[in-house]
Amino acid sequence: MTSRPLSAGELRAERWRLRARGMRDFGRRFARRKDGVIGIVVLAVFAFLALFPSVLVGPLQTATTAPGLPLQPPSLEFPLGTDDLGRSMLNLTVHGARISMVIGLLATAVTVLIGAVIGIASGYLGGRTDTVLMRITDFFLVLPTFVLALILAPIILDLIGTDATILGIPSTLFVIIVVIGVTSWASTARIIRSQALSVKERMFVARARVIGGGGAHIMWRHIMPNVLNLIVANTVLTFAGAILTETTLSFIGLGDPLLPSWGVILNSAQTSGAPGLGAWWYFVPPATCIVLVVLAFTLVGGALDDVLNPRMRARR
Amino acid sequence: MGSRYLARKVVQALLTIAFIVLLNFVLFRMMPGSPDRVLARNLPETARAELRSRWGLDKPLIPDQFIAYVGSTLRGDLGGSYKFNGRTVVDVIGDRMWPTIILFGLGELIAIVVGLSLGAYSGWRRGGPVDYIGNGFSLVLYSMPYFVIGMLLLIIFATGLGWFPTSGMFSLGVRFQSFPQQVADFAWHLALPLATVAIGLIGQYSILMRSSIIDTLTEDYVTTARAKGLTEGRILRSHALPNARLPAVTLIAINLGYVIAGAITVEVVFNWPGIGTLTVTALNARDYPVLQGIFILLSVSVVLANLVADLIYGVLDPRVRT
Repeated sequence: MTSRPLSAGELRAERWRLRARGMRDFGRRFARRKDGVIGIVVLAVFAFLALFPSVLVGPLQTATTAPGLPLQPPSLEFPLGTDDLGRSMLNLTVHGARISMVIGLLATAVTVLIGAVIGIASGYLGGRTDTVLMRITDFFLVLPTFVLALILAPIILDLIGTDATILGIPSTLFVIIVVIGVTSWASTARIIRSQALSVKERMFVARARVIGGGGAHIMWRHIMPNVLNLIVANTVLTFAGAILTETTLSFIGLGDPLLPSWGVILNSAQTSGAPGLGAWWYFVPPATCIVLVVLAFTLVGGALDDVLNPRMRARR
Repeated sequence: MGSRYLARKVVQALLTIAFIVLLNFVLFRMMPGSPDRVLARNLPETARAELRSRWGLDKPLIPDQFIAYVGSTLRGDLGGSYKFNGRTVVDVIGDRMWPTIILFGLGELIAIVVGLSLGAYSGWRRGGPVDYIGNGFSLVLYSMPYFVIGMLLLIIFATGLGWFPTSGMFSLGVRFQSFPQQVADFAWHLALPLATVAIGLIGQYSILMRSSIIDTLTEDYVTTARAKGLTEGRILRSHALPNARLPAVTLIAINLGYVIAGAITVEVVFNWPGIGTLTVTALNARDYPVLQGIFILLSVSVVLANLVADLIYGVLDPRVRT
């Protein structure tokens, strides 16, 4: 074998070849997990609903464009019945997919971002920074964060008003997203910190430090890629939690009635007394969607965790 | 129990509670508008100035207002409610506490007994029919918000079959009846919310106990016990279960925070007059003092429950008592 140093182009090609092989390997191992594959299929269906709701069931119906009578049971015209305003439940549920999934996605992004930054910084920097950050993390782990979210949301809403938009997102949704993120990052931070602690001791980190790499550079280029597996598996599980939290917050009345997520629909089902009137079609469709999505995320998360973090595999 | 372990845990819990009290102060000051403008909306300016000085709002935020706040919190004075005119926060919350304690105390108890047994059995007979069905059910229940379980039970057993009442804690006029009749009426109203709480928790506890027992069964001492020729039942009872219980204790305590979220919604579904319905009432009326009181109450309860769990852990596992 010649020891000619590789040119930049060859190096890049080699890197891509390795990456593609890694992906193929990963795909093969993931495909063996039947529960994970089922989860992916379910999520793909809901992603499709969330992407093209208007194509599938027409624009979101409002109180003024409601086509039916209040609380009609399922029929040919309204396959899932109507709500107390006469809107088609099929229309509402499909549009709810988009709103719930978008809130879930953004809240997950905020959660994982905060958790990853704190976890990596805490694990890599160590010392006093670590102690302080982990004290704060422990505090958030013990605290019933849902109750905190429940107080924070109305306070922030009162501060910024309900008509404003922030970064193109209506403030009502923005507040829910931020509140979920701010209150649920702690377990992510814990998991990532423990992995960062062990990655930090590896030889390539010492080498990077010797050739003069700064803290931020090492954390971003060396620690982060090596905790990425954990971050990915954790993101999927966090998504499930974010959707459940959003649903619960909306159910107790913190959602935006003009942007009906599944939780908001369940809230109006409850306040209109649907369960007491026997109108099961008002809450069964959104509730089924929530259970399916959360279950799918849990299955995919579990399968990913197995495939990406093989050291844990023997235990299951 | 080692006194150092005990002392460390107690100090940690106290620090956390101090954090909670501090956070509560900060949250309250974040609110738009000065409290006197909200509370004394219709009073003339002179009266408001008088109120401000009586409440100490004319003094600087730090240290005077902070010291006054900490002092009154320690004395158990959380201020007055906006919504429930003329009543103190402590009074309003105190009224709603025992329905919640009964509902969730009993629910937790049932769930711990049933959930842990089910999980232990599924893990022990891994891959068997009970495991297969039990694990499937647990996963679905785990993905289901509590209030959805409640709505389903309500529409089937209360609206549909009419076996149970749809809401509230007592029937009208029941207080004129004899004591046993009152208890029966209460139990009749309690059945569905209690079932909801228990079912919701059983899924979580059984998943948790199952993975814990599976972990334990791969340990060397279980193999040793098997090599010694102990019966399977004996291995489970004296070797696997005692060790599998440990993570369960911690996780149940950590879970308590999530249980509270579910608690609030179950009460809403069944209109159970506890802390949960109070939270929603206070939320809709933006009754911040009551919300803050609930926040303090629930957070401190969770911290104390974690402390108790740590102490139980210390009793069950001598290794941590150092």
